[in-house]
Amino acid sequence: MPGADPKGTLDPPIVVTGLGAVTAFGWGVAPLWEGLRRGAPAIGPIARFDGTKHRTHLSAEVPLRDAPAAQRRASWADRFAVAASREAMGQAGLRGPVPEAGVYFGSSTGGMLESEAFYVSLLAGGARRARPSLLVAQQLNGPGDAVARDAGATGPVETVSSACSSGSMAIGAALRALRRGDVDVAIAGGSDSLCQLTYAGFNALRAVDERPCRPFRKDRLGLSIGEGAGALVLESLAHARARGARPIAILAGEAATCDAHHMTAPHPEGRGAAEAIERALEDGGVLRDEIDFVNAHGTGTPLNDLAEARAMRHIFGSRAAELPVTSTKALIGHLLGSAGAVEAVATVLSLARREVHPMPALGDADEEIGLRLVLGAPLRLPRAAAALSTNLAFGGANAALVFRAAEAA
Amino acid sequence: MIPRSVVATGLGAIGPWGADIASLSAALATGRPLAVPIDDGVAALVPDVDLSPWLPAASARRLGRPSRWAVAAARIALDHAGVTSFEGRRVAVVLATSFGAVHFTEKLVHQILVEGPESAQPFYFSECVANAASAQVALALAATGANVTVTQREAGPLVALARGTAEVAEGRADLALVGAADEMSPLLHGVLERFRAIARESPRPFDARRSGALAGEGGSIVVLEPEADAVARQAGWRVRIAGTAGAFDPSASESDWGRGDEPLARGVVRALARAGRSMDGVDRIVSGASGSLRGDRLEARVLSRARGGARAPAVFVPKAVTGEYGGGFLAAAFLAATGAPFGKVPAVSEIEPGLDVLVHDGAPLPAPRAVLASALAAGGAGAWAVLEHA
Repeated sequence: MPGADPKGTLDPPIVVTGLGAVTAFGWGVAPLWEGLRRGAPAIGPIARFDGTKHRTHLSAEVPLRDAPAAQRRASWADRFAVAASREAMGQAGLRGPVPEAGVYFGSSTGGMLESEAFYVSLLAGGARRARPSLLVAQQLNGPGDAVARDAGATGPVETVSSACSSGSMAIGAALRALRRGDVDVAIAGGSDSLCQLTYAGFNALRAVDERPCRPFRKDRLGLSIGEGAGALVLESLAHARARGARPIAILAGEAATCDAHHMTAPHPEGRGAAEAIERALEDGGVLRDEIDFVNAHGTGTPLNDLAEARAMRHIFGSRAAELPVTSTKALIGHLLGSAGAVEAVATVLSLARREVHPMPALGDADEEIGLRLVLGAPLRLPRAAAALSTNLAFGGANAALVFRAAEAA
Repeated sequence: MIPRSVVATGLGAIGPWGADIASLSAALATGRPLAVPIDDGVAALVPDVDLSPWLPAASARRLGRPSRWAVAAARIALDHAGVTSFEGRRVAVVLATSFGAVHFTEKLVHQILVEGPESAQPFYFSECVANAASAQVALALAATGANVTVTQREAGPLVALARGTAEVAEGRADLALVGAADEMSPLLHGVLERFRAIARESPRPFDARRSGALAGEGGSIVVLEPEADAVARQAGWRVRIAGTAGAFDPSASESDWGRGDEPLARGVVRALARAGRSMDGVDRIVSGASGSLRGDRLEARVLSRARGGARAPAVFVPKAVTGEYGGGFLAAAFLAATGAPFGKVPAVSEIEPGLDVLVHDGAPLPAPRAVLASALAAGGAGAWAVLEHA
């Protein structure tokens, strides 16, 4: 591969020193990893709003009863974001304000759930009696701003709203900023909460499965919608060492491309996705053969999974049939703007623990997919040197992240 | 790689002034707000302009208004740049939006909450996602580079400019289409009024009597490319993006500006330093001040602190003309860098005591060496860019 740099010497290594997550498995990385290893989906009957009138009735909801105390007006998306970031900062050993930090966060709907409540109050009482307090945290930039405010960050704050690739693009933006030296430390991730707009919207597209989603399986019928947040603390290896922080993994490379093919369908051959993967590998100086597993976008929609599988087969050739592939969405649903962030967390955990989490062994194999899916039980990796995480979004916006094991640092 | 110098070579802007840059320039020269009625108030709304030269009517029907404006503005910008074909070049699209396709979002929410979720139309859903406009630009132009939507409220256009500049400077894109698109609706306008963000009369940035902003809408796009490429093909209009930076004020609340001028001023200084300049090397500041009570005060303090003892450059306040949101500010910043005349804003006559800011009085100015564009967002973010007429 032209430009590949197996030793990763193209740029100063950027390392992950902290992870945080809020998912349907609970508040924290520990319940996430435990749930992922167990392999039983946290997808159940919808309770966040009245789901009876919706076409489908399942979601992967964060257990709100376990939520830590938060500002009164904060949206759930903001609260997820702050909780995940605090956990990541705690693991990274960042106590108290971190003024040198920049924040790079993705969100696709921000506080839309609360906006819907505002709209209901508007319908009930008219414009003068509607409750604008419900809109205080409605903004798409809410989660990222909330994280920066909570961390006392004074560096750049960038919110990416590129649908389902938002979280991974935000992490990519953080990588670039760290390489340029714009910031010493970055808090990167994504957050989204369930809302009726996305739930009904994906249902209108007939993209939601009435059963828990079954990525890459023959009878897959669509996605399961989830919610939550993922956060990573990123910094240069030198910066981490100087303050005694332990690298968990290296964020080696990233890339983003666009299919420019269709608003809601991926390019059938996964052309843009393949290019994103190829460029991310090149960016990270990682050879294709060095990738030991893939955390795929794997939504469970017929078109996405086939296009993504074709992209992987294009990149990895015959090795695609042997390369372990999993989809975190099979267990916690599609977290939309935070999917890439939580899946990055899962990828780093798998690299660090040399184990790929399974998907439920539901349905039959799809011969058109042609990938080695991790089903039913965790897969112990004989080698965990590097991993790939992909996201494919509405509008054809693709993103890929490449991680290396911390030992390479 | 060593970052490449990046220039803008084309500008397209659709807004309350219409669809041509000459009309925007003329409006900025008068300093008068492009306000028309909306509900009980006024806003700077896009008139019924003919976009068919850049967007066939059949295509337009499938798009929300921000997407229409973004696609048309992108084509206008490419025409202006003299780019007739991408010829294998990798093209990134980076757009900012604050609210996305508001009308479609409102319709979809109404369908879901009033008529029932099964009434939701897929067309509204796919066009109400925040990245609809950037995706539609990519679809219309076959742009296969990174496709990124930035949502950082009032700072979004300059955050997008920084992101797009980096895509080109660092070699990931050969060309980038960068800008902003937003629309206003009576409901959104009413909500902004409830937050006391809307001016009761003409917007008066930095004025002691200011009461809020003029809400606006539209779409603006600039074409970015490596300066070496632009010089080689003798592009006639070139504005160098010499430096960009961002910062955050953690004292801000979710929906307002804070008081943290010190960290934000460091952001200004960083942007200037990346351009190899100090405030003495800047001849205009294109300020994002809109008439907001706290936002304008913070903006003045940030600029004053960043300036230190340097002389005060003239400050342009284009949002008094184009309105807040929709990319008019970004387009105005590029026009300012080329030396376009800006008029005095008649409504600004009495600067708030204690604000150390020299709002432009409309007098002719010599061609600028560099322009500083400055935008502070409600919620705490700030972004800056140093622009030079190349």
